[in-house]
Amino acid sequence: MFKKPRYIFRYNKNPKSLITSFQCLTTAALPTERIDSFRCVINNPLEQNEGHIGQFYRVPEDVVSKLFSQGGLPKSFRIQTKTFAETCLMIRKPSIDIINCIKNLDFSKPVPRFVLYGQKGVGKSLSLAHIVHYGYEAGFLLVHIPWLGEWMRRPKDSSPSETKEGYTNINLDIASWLVHFKNQNSLLLEKANLKTTQTYKWTKREETVANSNLMDLVDHGINRIKFASDCVLALLNEIKQLSKSGKCKTLVAIDGFNAFFYPETRIRTEKKEIVHPHNVSVTEGFLSLTRFDWKNAVAVLIVDELAIAEKDQTSYFPRYLLGKDGFEHLDPFIPVLVNGYSNKEFLSCMNYYRERRWVQPLPGLDDELSVISSSNPYKLMQLCAPL
Amino acid sequence: MALNLMKNSIKMNTFSKLQVRSSSGSSEPQFRVLNLKVTKSKPAPRRQPKKFDTAPPRAHQMPTDQNWGNVWPGPRSFHPATVPLPVRQGYGEKQAPPSKYANAELMKIPNFLHLTPPVIKRQCDALRKFCTPWPKELSTDENCEKHFPLETTTSSYCYSSPSIRNSLARIVTLRIKLSHLPLDQHAKDKFRRLVGDRYDENTDYVTIVADRCPTSKQNFDYCMYLLTAVFHESWNVEPWESKKTLEDMEYYDWTKNQSCKSLESMFEVPFDKIEHGKEFSEAVSNLMNNGENLQTLKTYGDTVRKLLGLSKEI
Repeated sequence: MFKKPRYIFRYNKNPKSLITSFQCLTTAALPTERIDSFRCVINNPLEQNEGHIGQFYRVPEDVVSKLFSQGGLPKSFRIQTKTFAETCLMIRKPSIDIINCIKNLDFSKPVPRFVLYGQKGVGKSLSLAHIVHYGYEAGFLLVHIPWLGEWMRRPKDSSPSETKEGYTNINLDIASWLVHFKNQNSLLLEKANLKTTQTYKWTKREETVANSNLMDLVDHGINRIKFASDCVLALLNEIKQLSKSGKCKTLVAIDGFNAFFYPETRIRTEKKEIVHPHNVSVTEGFLSLTRFDWKNAVAVLIVDELAIAEKDQTSYFPRYLLGKDGFEHLDPFIPVLVNGYSNKEFLSCMNYYRERRWVQPLPGLDDELSVISSSNPYKLMQLCAPL
Repeated sequence: MALNLMKNSIKMNTFSKLQVRSSSGSSEPQFRVLNLKVTKSKPAPRRQPKKFDTAPPRAHQMPTDQNWGNVWPGPRSFHPATVPLPVRQGYGEKQAPPSKYANAELMKIPNFLHLTPPVIKRQCDALRKFCTPWPKELSTDENCEKHFPLETTTSSYCYSSPSIRNSLARIVTLRIKLSHLPLDQHAKDKFRRLVGDRYDENTDYVTIVADRCPTSKQNFDYCMYLLTAVFHESWNVEPWESKKTLEDMEYYDWTKNQSCKSLESMFEVPFDKIEHGKEFSEAVSNLMNNGENLQTLKTYGDTVRKLLGLSKEI
C-alpha cells in the first residue's frame, strides 16, 4: 500500500499529475486494503474457522432482530451498534474453540457443558452471542437466557407459586423470556414437527393436550402470564424429552449461570424473606437442562462476577463463582477462559473503529490506548467513545 | 500607648550611646580589680610521669621452631608481646589499620591461638587411647538416621562465675522424622493434628521442645513421655471419629465426593475402568486442593476434553 505512491513519486516528474495520482490512491486503494485485514468476508458462523480469529463479521439485521431483540447483546454494545449502523461481532478464540467442539461433537453422548469465565468486560457475553448465532445457523433449538442476573437481582415481580408449595414465581420476567424464546425459535418451531408428549392441565377449562404443537405451550405462557413459570417448566421438560428422542438438537446458553447458586437473590416472598434461587420455580427446569443426563444438546454457560452481589465479587474463577453445589452440579464441565484482546485483536478493533470514523487517526494512539485499557475490550470501548 | 513605647525606645537609644562612649575611651582609668585571694608564688611545676623500665617484647626473642602450645597453653585474651605475628586490627582514616600494640580491638575479639592444628592433633592423640572405633554399620548418614532415628539436642555451658549452672542448659529438643514412626493413614493424620505446628511438612520432622523442668534429664524424660503419649493416642480411634463428614475433611478426597459419583453415573461403569478417569480424578483433586488458578483450570479442562472425547483447545 505504501510502496505504490513512492513508485509514482519517483517516476512522475510533473507535480500536478503526482498530486492527482496520490489522491486517487487515498480514495480508492486505501479502504479496500484495510477492509481485507480486519473484516471477515464470511458472515456465516458455520464456515468460520480459527484462521478468522481477530476479524469482525457482520451479523445480518434480520438475524439480530430475531436473536437479540429481547437481550443478548450488552446494552452499551447495542448502543454502539446503532451508532455504527451495523452489528459486527469479533471472531474470538473462545467462541471458535467451542464452535469447533460442537462441530465435531458426538451427539449420542451425554451433554457437554462449556463454562466461559474471565474478568469483567473481556467479552464473555459477546462470545456467547457469537455461539448463539452459530446455533441459530446450525439449526439448534435455542434455550438462551440473555442475562440471568436480571431475574435474580432485578426481578420485575414475584408471587408465591400456586402449584408448588414454598416456591416463588417471577412470572413477568418469565413471560418476556418466553417471547424471547418464541422470537429465536419461531422458524425452527414452524419447520420441525415438535409435539408435546403430555397433557398439561392449567385450570378446569384450560389445558394443553398431548401431541399439540410446542408453540401452543409457549403461547399459553405468554397469554396467561399467571401460568408462565409452569409453562416454562413444562416447555423445558418437553425440550429435554424431544432432544432425548432425537427430534431436535438443543443449544442451552445461559449468561450469568452462577446466579442460580448464589444464595442471596433480591427476590422476596410476601413476608419479605429472601428467596433462595433454588426456591424460584423455574430454576429447577433450567438446572435440569444443564445436567449431563440427556443427549442431542450442548450447554454453553457463562459464570460472571456481575451476576452476584458486589461484596462477593472477589474472584472470576468458576469454582468460586459456582460454589460447591454449582461445581458439583456441572462437574465434569469444560472451563473456557476468555481473555482480553491479543495484539492482533486489538489492532483489528482499532482499525474497525477508525473505519467507522469512531476515533481520529492519531500517531501513537494505539500504543497508548492498549496500555490504558490493558487490552480490556469494554474499557477500550469506553475510552474510545469520546475520542 | 504607641507614643509611650516610642518615647521609651528613644530613651534606650540615648542610654546605649552613653555606655558605648564610656567603654571605648582607652585613655580613661580602668576599674580596679578586687583581688581577694592574693597569690604571689608561681604555680608548682607539673610532676613528671615516672618511667618504668620494661623488658622488650617477648616475641622478639622467640625461636622459629619453638613449641607454640607451651607458649599459649590455654584460652586467653590477646597479648601483643607474646604473639609473634604482625597482626593489625581496626580502622584509621588515611592510615593503615592500627598495629597490635595497645590495640583494644584485638583484645575484644575471642581468639583460638590455643587451638592451633598441631595442638589439636597432639590432644587428639592423647585422647585416642580412651576411644573405641566408629561402628562400620554407621558409616553413612543414612545408616545413622535409620538406626538412630531419634535426635536430641541439649546445650552445655561453662563459665567462671560463683554458680556453674546455666538455666539454658535445661532445654531439650527432640526431633524425629514422622516416616520413622509406624503409623497408618488414620494415625498419621491424627498425629499431625495433635502435634500441630510442631510438624514441618517440608522436612517431615516432628520437633518437640521441653523447658518446663529445671534439669535437662527431667526435660528429656518429659519429651519422651510426650512422644509416647501422642503416638499411642494417634492409634486410638474414638467413637466420634466415625462421624467425620465431607465438610470436616482437611483435603479433597475425590473418591468420596460427588464428582466421582457423577462421573460413574455418566459412564455407567466404576471409575477405575473409565478411560482417562484417573487423570480426571487427579485434575479435580489438584483443582480443589491447590486452589483454582489458570493452570489448574486448564489441566482440568484438558482432561475433561479427553474424557468426553472433544476436540482439543485451539
